[in-house]
Amino acid sequence: MKLATKLPTKSSVLSFLPPSTQVLEETAALLSEARRQKIPVWVFLGMCFNLVVAPMVQAATGETYSRGQAWAIGILGLCTLVVSVYLFVVMFQPERF
Amino acid sequence: MTSDTPSSAPRQSKGRRQDRRGTPKVNTSGLYKRAVRDSFTKLDPRNMIKNPVMFLVWLGTIVTFLVTLAPDLFGPAAGKNPRLFNGLITVVLFFTVVFANFAEAVAEGRGKAQADSLRSTRSDTTARKVLPDGSIQEVSSTGLYKGDQIKVVAGDIIPADAEVVGGVASVDESAITGESAPVLKQPGTDISSSVTGGTRIISDELFLRVTSDPGKGFIDRMIALVEGAERSKTPNEIALTVLLVVLTQVFLIVVATMTPIAGYVRTPVSIAALIALLVALIPTTIGGLLSAIGIAGMDRVAQFNVVATSGRAVEACGDVNTLVLDKTGTITLGNREADEFIPVNGHSLQEVAATALTASIFDETPEGKSIVRLAEQLGAKAEVAPEQATGVEFSARTRMSGTDLPNGSEIRKGAVDAIKGFVRSRGGTIAPDLDDAYERVSRLGGTPLALCRDGELFGVIYLKDIIKPGIKERFDQLRRMGVRTIMLTGDNRITASVIAQEAGVDDFIAEATPEDKIEVIRTEQAKGKLVAMTGDGTNDAPALAQANVGVAMNSGTQAAKEAANMVDLDSDPTKLIDLVTIGKQLLITRGALTTFSISNDVAKYFAIIPTIFAAAGIGALNVMRLGSPDSAVLSALIYNALIIPALIPLALKGVEFRPLTANQLLQRNILIYGLGGVVAPFIAIKIIDLAVSPFL
Repeated sequence: MKLATKLPTKSSVLSFLPPSTQVLEETAALLSEARRQKIPVWVFLGMCFNLVVAPMVQAATGETYSRGQAWAIGILGLCTLVVSVYLFVVMFQPERF
Repeated sequence: MTSDTPSSAPRQSKGRRQDRRGTPKVNTSGLYKRAVRDSFTKLDPRNMIKNPVMFLVWLGTIVTFLVTLAPDLFGPAAGKNPRLFNGLITVVLFFTVVFANFAEAVAEGRGKAQADSLRSTRSDTTARKVLPDGSIQEVSSTGLYKGDQIKVVAGDIIPADAEVVGGVASVDESAITGESAPVLKQPGTDISSSVTGGTRIISDELFLRVTSDPGKGFIDRMIALVEGAERSKTPNEIALTVLLVVLTQVFLIVVATMTPIAGYVRTPVSIAALIALLVALIPTTIGGLLSAIGIAGMDRVAQFNVVATSGRAVEACGDVNTLVLDKTGTITLGNREADEFIPVNGHSLQEVAATALTASIFDETPEGKSIVRLAEQLGAKAEVAPEQATGVEFSARTRMSGTDLPNGSEIRKGAVDAIKGFVRSRGGTIAPDLDDAYERVSRLGGTPLALCRDGELFGVIYLKDIIKPGIKERFDQLRRMGVRTIMLTGDNRITASVIAQEAGVDDFIAEATPEDKIEVIRTEQAKGKLVAMTGDGTNDAPALAQANVGVAMNSGTQAAKEAANMVDLDSDPTKLIDLVTIGKQLLITRGALTTFSISNDVAKYFAIIPTIFAAAGIGALNVMRLGSPDSAVLSALIYNALIIPALIPLALKGVEFRPLTANQLLQRNILIYGLGGVVAPFIAIKIIDLAVSPFL
């Protein structure tokens, strides 16, 4: 038997969700844009891959750090991550600033 | 707009105000001292976080300060004197942030000075409030609310923005507009029915209905806007901020991953040097000047005596493609000029000229003077000397003026139907050729004034529309900028086409109704164009609301002012052209400084990276032959810091506007700011390096 009901569309599903899913909508829009603009996405992913291999490269340098220096570098890395998140927030919601 | 009405009433010419500002002279004493103080108070993180680029520099300053105190905080300290090097970087970064704050503080300070001078035109006054039972109660102007009825008499300061509901009076608006000639205010008309708080009644009295609550009048809104209290980022600013943040994010990721790579290739780089590299790469120049450019743009609009509801409206002016303009008062002078005397009722031209001259000897209006000139050109002489006669002034009620002769004869000129009434009242009859003359003048788009002596009609005076001088050149300028002009008029097609050709507009619509105005705007917008228009009547309100940029005249109705997104306090319709220029200048300034900021990065790459990674084999790229890695980093940072205050005057004044096509503008700005932005830092950094190297 053929179903007569219409399949739910993205907008109709999302309309039932609370307003905080605006972030989800924007993410969905980004992903669809990413499928069209491949080069910038790959460049960005390449840069992020740098971040992933950075600790391994650092380990390969043979430098040694004291406990205090390691903590300081860790905190600096964490602060850099927070700043990066802040910059992403500014990118997606610039009107807040 | 109003239909052509015969009038020889006083009407003020509102020419361009390029050379004079409507607001009182701004007091900028102490501006820079306050700006220096504000530069430091703006270091508050709650303020800094609103500017992402400079916030990153601020954070970098804190980190370099920490490594100044403890150079081996993040690893072994390199170099001869790491504490000194780190300390110098900290100081330079600190001043980079301070200079950016200084730019914003100067722009805000100028706005505040302007707001203060506007405030000085307002004062708490006592108002005569008309109570429902008709009695008068004296209240403070701060106690007046929207809808209150008040009475003002000669000598009073109008206590609030209001609409005229009764009476006719002359108002001195110089406190707001700087125009010393009084303006006639009367009710029930689409123009001249609004008054602004702070202006002074010179003669007679008016009954007014207050149109805004305390603190919400037009001047109050202007004060809030120029002070920056209500300023939010415009769409263009937001888009540019996103671009700058994307660049900043990219460089942050790159620099963050540089330490391990630098260590791997045996060229370890200190954290301070990395932060210096990051600050040199991110667009700090435009990041620091962006808000100053926006604030200065709003101030420039206020200097033109225009109240804008938001910065978005000012930016929209810069993107406008189509200008919809009315004919009378915008393209043509509001004051008409006598062009011809048309005899009726069997009189000769000489008789009509002599009578017209005699009727105008006391008429000081431009129309009256032009009638005198025309009569004298035809060899006419006044029948009587002014000392022997009595002048009859124009009034809105009689709609005529003239001269009473010593022998009792009354010569009048004025609206055709008013003169008909006068003639009949003196026992005369209406000549059949009067209507023919009237229609002939109307067909030409001119204003007919009928002329009579007692009960006898003499003729019709044809007042012709005069194209404003220089308007054709301004339209040419706009055309070169890619802005199309459309003239709207209620006149007939023949008259409209003559005026359109003479003025040089791109298109015209004759016999236009208010509905036609909206239709034109919608048609242009459907083509993707941005449309600007001016208006002052209630019938203009829908079109003003529909247009992307609607500029209402301050002398217009409340409905028009509420519908528009800008109000011109000078009530000068040609101000729209200036606003388009200001809007474009704002966008061009932002674009130019962004180009310059990003171009600077090229020289900074060549300054810092080859010297830092010289051991990795790219030392040959040190084309500037900078002294050492430390001096290279410092020189680039010092240049980065000093370029911000160096560009403050340009940011505040704006890039000089030239009416060129988009392509010509692009080529010009890329040459000056793009190429200049690449070349200038090479020279500047080298000079700074020569000064700094001996000390490191």
